[in-house]
Amino acid sequence: MKSKITAGLVASLLGAVLFTAPAHAQNQRIALLSGISGPIAAMAPAMLEAMQLAVRHVNEQGGIGNGGRLEFVIGDDACNPQNATDAATKAVNIDRVIGMVGPACSGAVIAAANSVTIPAGVLMITSSGTSPQITKLNDRDLVFRTVPSDDYQGRALARTLKERGMDKVAVAYVNNDYGKGLADAFKDEFESVGGTLAGFSGHEAGKASYRSDLAQLARGGADTLVVFDYGDGSGLTILRQALENNFFKNFVGADGMKSDAVIRELGADNLKTFFTSAPVGEASASLDAFNQAFAAAGHDPNAIFATTSYDAAFLMALAIEKAGGDRAKLSEALRSVSTEPGEPIMVGEWAKAKQLIAEGKDINYKGAAGDHAFDENGDVPGNYSFFKVSGTTYEAIAEMH
Amino acid sequence: MTAIDFINFYIVPGLVLGSIYAVGAIGITMVFGILRFAHLAHGDLATMGAFFALAAVTLLGVDPWVALPVAMILAAALAVGLDRTFYDYLRDRPKILTVMASLGVALMVRAVIQVVWGTDPQTYQRGIVRPDNYFGILLRNRELYTLLAVVVIVVALETFLRKSKWGKAMRAMSDNPDLARLSGVDIRHVTVLTWAIVGALCAASGFFLGINTELHSMMGWHMLLPMFAAAILGGVGRVQGAVLGGFIVGLAEELSILVMPGPYKSATAFVILLAILLVRPRGLLNGKVL
Repeated sequence: MKSKITAGLVASLLGAVLFTAPAHAQNQRIALLSGISGPIAAMAPAMLEAMQLAVRHVNEQGGIGNGGRLEFVIGDDACNPQNATDAATKAVNIDRVIGMVGPACSGAVIAAANSVTIPAGVLMITSSGTSPQITKLNDRDLVFRTVPSDDYQGRALARTLKERGMDKVAVAYVNNDYGKGLADAFKDEFESVGGTLAGFSGHEAGKASYRSDLAQLARGGADTLVVFDYGDGSGLTILRQALENNFFKNFVGADGMKSDAVIRELGADNLKTFFTSAPVGEASASLDAFNQAFAAAGHDPNAIFATTSYDAAFLMALAIEKAGGDRAKLSEALRSVSTEPGEPIMVGEWAKAKQLIAEGKDINYKGAAGDHAFDENGDVPGNYSFFKVSGTTYEAIAEMH
Repeated sequence: MTAIDFINFYIVPGLVLGSIYAVGAIGITMVFGILRFAHLAHGDLATMGAFFALAAVTLLGVDPWVALPVAMILAAALAVGLDRTFYDYLRDRPKILTVMASLGVALMVRAVIQVVWGTDPQTYQRGIVRPDNYFGILLRNRELYTLLAVVVIVVALETFLRKSKWGKAMRAMSDNPDLARLSGVDIRHVTVLTWAIVGALCAASGFFLGINTELHSMMGWHMLLPMFAAAILGGVGRVQGAVLGGFIVGLAEELSILVMPGPYKSATAFVILLAILLVRPRGLLNGKVL
């Protein structure tokens, strides 16, 4: 009896917290998932801040539907499949979210999508899951991404290295969906443009020593090492041990290696021959608007995946508004608000978008990271730049094609 | 591949890795042998020890090797505190409860580390260190010191266990707890002493791992499986066995690259472990059967 009373009290208290908005307003809740702990922890804060900026833009300019607010819950996918599944399960079953922005890492995206969001019919937009495997998900049109597939990045990187005269390279990749997807695309393209792979091997994350792996790769005689790993995780260990033992002269990483931790821990002086590729936003009015708003909020707009994270959250909000909060219509609505035809909507123009949707007009979101014209797999094409280390940060030195 | 390359890039890293595993495995084998449960918080306690040393380096500005004893003392105190707070309470219950509790402790310790120090990788000394050349063998000071420190730790621990009164009491507890109690061994004191030594060893292994690579909140957890493999391989309850097991696992991981793809590195240690347990169920140095 007593426990029943307690339960009732707790329930009414919870209710009081949850339903503080006016009775007719329908709040909508989304989940924001990122790798708060784990190998991409250094990237997660900027991603989450960018997503929250989008949510703030929505709520400051009229909110969702008829006076409702866009609420969010934050989850930690720890950049691994188990934690992502746990976080997604909690978001979907307990927080009852209508859509999910994230998770961050490819393996996490695939696991959370397959075991949680696709079966539950929840729309997922990831802003940093880049594995080509995500394209192949049997997703009932529920998995989208605002970041291009690594298939593009791996191939663009292969062509860029060949153009820069690095004809013979060794590849070390972290053995997960991210590393392997990138490495396979790179290998395919690099060999087809006439480059030589003097070594190609996977490794497990989280080991204390990779010296024998590196020695094995160095035996192929290449002086360039391509590392597809995370600069906050084993990628840093590999880079350190390769530098300390003079296994290679040049080092090239992809977006995962473009981490400030690498510069901070190894020192810019030691990284004169370290380059990374990373997706970049095309110069646009929308990108300028984002840079300004994000900098005004006290964050670095050049942080990796900041633009894609903003776009993912903003697109999610637009889709919810367009679908009128109907979960079943979300993916259709998402395609409608992001593709031609329609009135262009820039970063931060929530009031304008809301007005047009209310009038029944088509809109077309032009995001900070690009136009996000999703193809049938929910993928977007990408732009990449090639970066070098400059001072305490990275500086773009060339566009990649 | 020349012989000197083989030594420099396979044997030396294997030995350094092996000594890190060995120091961790000694602690595991002591808890296993004397307190009779598998301590799953061992890895995260090692992480905490490594971060204690980092705190000493950043707050006091001392050399990392000076910070090591500080970290060992702090971790010893923490280990005793954890025992008093969590494990002691479960002493008379089935051991599986203590094992599960230690998993909970592992998660709590890790969460504290993540709250205090964040989740970014950190180092004791920034930048890179190129090795010195000793007649063709490439060694860094930190690797040399790691190997030396392991020798010192093992010799000191063995002497303590063989010669001192309390060491003998610990060995008696390990051999037969009932008989030890009947002979007047104070179990409470032995338990506290064991945890103090285990905590200090944890800090040392975490420190060696941190100074040879980087510090991050998951570092110890990732080392837990190879450390357990080393402890069981050598024979549960045997200090020399844990050292032997540590070196075998470390060398096996580094040498496996020659014959197997990289992602199977960790699996090698377990294949060896399974094979040895089939032939010698008590481990190499005839440990306990659990």
